[in-house]
Amino acid sequence: MEKVTVIGAGSWGSTLADVLGNNGHEVLLWARSQERCEEINQRHSNERYLPGFTLSPNITATPDLERACAHSHWILMVVPSHGLRGCARALGDFVGGEHMIVHATKGIEQESFQRMSQVLREETCVRKIGVLSGPNLAREIMRRQPAGTLVASKYREVLERSQALLHSPYFRVYAGDDVIGAEVGGAFKNIVAVAAGVVDELGMGDNTRALLLTRGLNEMAHVGAAMGANVLTFGGLAGIGDLMCTCASPLSRNHQVGERLARGQSLEQIQAEMHMVAEGVKTTRSTFAYAGYKGLDLPIVRAVNAVIYQQRPVNEVIQDLMALPASRELVELSW
Amino acid sequence: MRREDQERALVEVTSRVVDGFVQAAQGRDGYLEGVLSDTLYHEGLRLEREDPSDPATKAYRELYGRVRRELGSASPSRQKQLLTEITRQYAEEVVGNFDDRVYRVATRALPHGLSILLKGASLRRVASMDILLRRGLEDHVQVEGEVEHVKALVDRGTLLVTPTHSSNLDSPVLGYAIYLMGVPPLTYGAGLNLFTNPVLSFFMGNLGAYKVDRRKQATLYKAVLKEYSTCALELGYHSLFFPGGTRARGGEVERKLKKGLLGTAVRAYTNNLQAGRAKPDIFVVPCTINYKLVLEAETLIRDHLAEVGKARFIITDDEFSKPRRILNFMSNLFSLDARITVRFGKPLDVFGNPVDGQGRSLDPSGRVVDPRGYVSRDGAPVRDDQRDQQYTNELAEAIGAAYGDENVVMSTNLVGYAVTALLQRANPGMDRYRLLRTGGALDSFPMSEVHAEVQRVLEALQGLPKPPALEPVLQAGDVPEIVNDALKHFAIYHSLNAAERRGDRLFHLDRNLLLFYGNRLRGYDLGRTLAADV
Repeated sequence: MEKVTVIGAGSWGSTLADVLGNNGHEVLLWARSQERCEEINQRHSNERYLPGFTLSPNITATPDLERACAHSHWILMVVPSHGLRGCARALGDFVGGEHMIVHATKGIEQESFQRMSQVLREETCVRKIGVLSGPNLAREIMRRQPAGTLVASKYREVLERSQALLHSPYFRVYAGDDVIGAEVGGAFKNIVAVAAGVVDELGMGDNTRALLLTRGLNEMAHVGAAMGANVLTFGGLAGIGDLMCTCASPLSRNHQVGERLARGQSLEQIQAEMHMVAEGVKTTRSTFAYAGYKGLDLPIVRAVNAVIYQQRPVNEVIQDLMALPASRELVELSW
Repeated sequence: MRREDQERALVEVTSRVVDGFVQAAQGRDGYLEGVLSDTLYHEGLRLEREDPSDPATKAYRELYGRVRRELGSASPSRQKQLLTEITRQYAEEVVGNFDDRVYRVATRALPHGLSILLKGASLRRVASMDILLRRGLEDHVQVEGEVEHVKALVDRGTLLVTPTHSSNLDSPVLGYAIYLMGVPPLTYGAGLNLFTNPVLSFFMGNLGAYKVDRRKQATLYKAVLKEYSTCALELGYHSLFFPGGTRARGGEVERKLKKGLLGTAVRAYTNNLQAGRAKPDIFVVPCTINYKLVLEAETLIRDHLAEVGKARFIITDDEFSKPRRILNFMSNLFSLDARITVRFGKPLDVFGNPVDGQGRSLDPSGRVVDPRGYVSRDGAPVRDDQRDQQYTNELAEAIGAAYGDENVVMSTNLVGYAVTALLQRANPGMDRYRLLRTGGALDSFPMSEVHAEVQRVLEALQGLPKPPALEPVLQAGDVPEIVNDALKHFAIYHSLNAAERRGDRLFHLDRNLLLFYGNRLRGYDLGRTLAADV
């Protein structure tokens, strides 16, 4: 059994630490707050993020980043996208060329439109970088219901190591080399989830949702191709898989934002009531700007952006979408 | 290469190449036979075109004939012997062509080496070329950038200089720049055609050049070349690669680099660590070689436009093959006091990290990194080809980025770009070949428009987050003067003038050349409105 490090003790970080612990590995979990560390070490629980679950006894928590980096050369990083740069910069003091970092953060840095692996590359000396992304709701995995995910990296060493460590009887880990595709899929699906919340709240049916998801996938592929992804990735777990999962889950924050928008609430109201911004709200803005810069035509992104940032009524926006000329369904994308 | 190193390299190269193929053959039936067949096939094609009375050709025919007769019935161990025999032959050819005498002479004193090399050539021609080249280079090669930084690393490890490649004059120019800097000569694999001209051949010697026969297309031969360059790096010979592969056909600063030869850097570094060498570090030095006029511009751009993807890999009948043309080029260029600028970028480690003056690798925030970690597993250096390929990609990216930062923009580049952009805007939607051939609707533009466009492009360049370097006339920023300077240069060398001023209008005459010189600015994000995207 091996020593492994997990950075970030939110719901997803704790869940992945639990998977690793259940595989018998000696997990050192870094958490920012001392109290959370004590809770994990003494009671094997994380009530704030995973209420009601017991964590593997193989997990030890520490607030000491240096110790976390010294514990293992394999680091799984699970911090929110807006905190990743700062965290990576701090990590940079303690990592070396032998380290591997796999991140499980879904999102794109707002203004720079940088992917998380690019941020890691800019803030540390680490080259062996990977991403874990897929249809993975933390609670289901804590219940050990069968699930699958994708780890993507240019470095085969990272893939082999990550699969060996994470693969378990209830968690299948597939490998791929398309880092960009995995990252774009994980970030972009949140935009479609907001739109799904809208159509669900308006009482539209399965046809509508299937139309939205499929055309949303198409837009995802266009953005991905422009950024250098392999479009086939979007047919996998990190693409259509994650998209279906997120859009089907009424509990997701992005979905809830969509519902509230459909009820006519403004972004300010929603933010005030939800206490936190859903990832899809920020991703919509930055993707909208990126598409404009690159000359990409993304009607769904444009529509979601119009509802969130230009206070356009949802019905009107949907009418506009439906009035667009329908061109050929599939165009060849080069990547 | 020193004699004792030559013998060592010969043995090492042969055994490593053979071992490499034998290892790859594990569990793959017929693999070695396939490698040998590939060699026979490619060499067969090559030999058909060779002079049959040439001794080397005869010897190869004999060798391959023997291998062919035996191949069908050869056991695996016999196959290995045959492979070794051919490999050894190639290795001897590559290693043996390294002229130790030239290397030593060239190191000590530049001018005196000439007489050794030039015997046989007509005295008058030699004398005039000698004066032109030597004096010309003395007065006109400008070395700038991270010169002191590079010099500080000479004794701390092995340098691998990786310049942009736009002309066959690049290697002599760089050789001269290195000589001016007081850096020892660089080892370099050069195509056979570069040795045909005696004077240039001398400069090749100054670079420590060895001959590469690019007509030999067999995988085995390429493996030998790669291994030889790895060995030279390991033995501490400062080296030179052109990672763009061949001269940039379109005149652009290369952004996509060939990874094959570049990959020998990580390999040599790992081998050095495994062998416990005292100075294992290899410092990669990106640099740009910048010309106001390019000797082979006409041939290169014609070839580039011939049809994308069908451009010739080797060009032998270009301006470079005509000594008079070179003379002409040099004397014209130098009569205008044009400088050839060699600009060095920040040295890198083999993983693409910047290196400081003491040879320490730095992370993006400037923190010191121990590069050994990258190739280590549990603290010990390990070879991993897939991993190293990725490192080489990262290195190539860092070199490409450095090219962009260290490019020195000349008046000819700026004006070429601006006029191409004007042409394109005046003829929206026109097929690029037609536009280049016919010039579109207008045969000229008002000077005021040209000036305005040059001004805009110049400002866009200066406004980039990481702007390229500018030659002095561009730095001064007097736009009419910049345009005059470019036109003066266009007029002096090329067989057809690229553009010419008549009254208050600028006529575009050879649009291919305008495109070629302007392409040096491609790859910078100058925004949609300024794009000259032909």
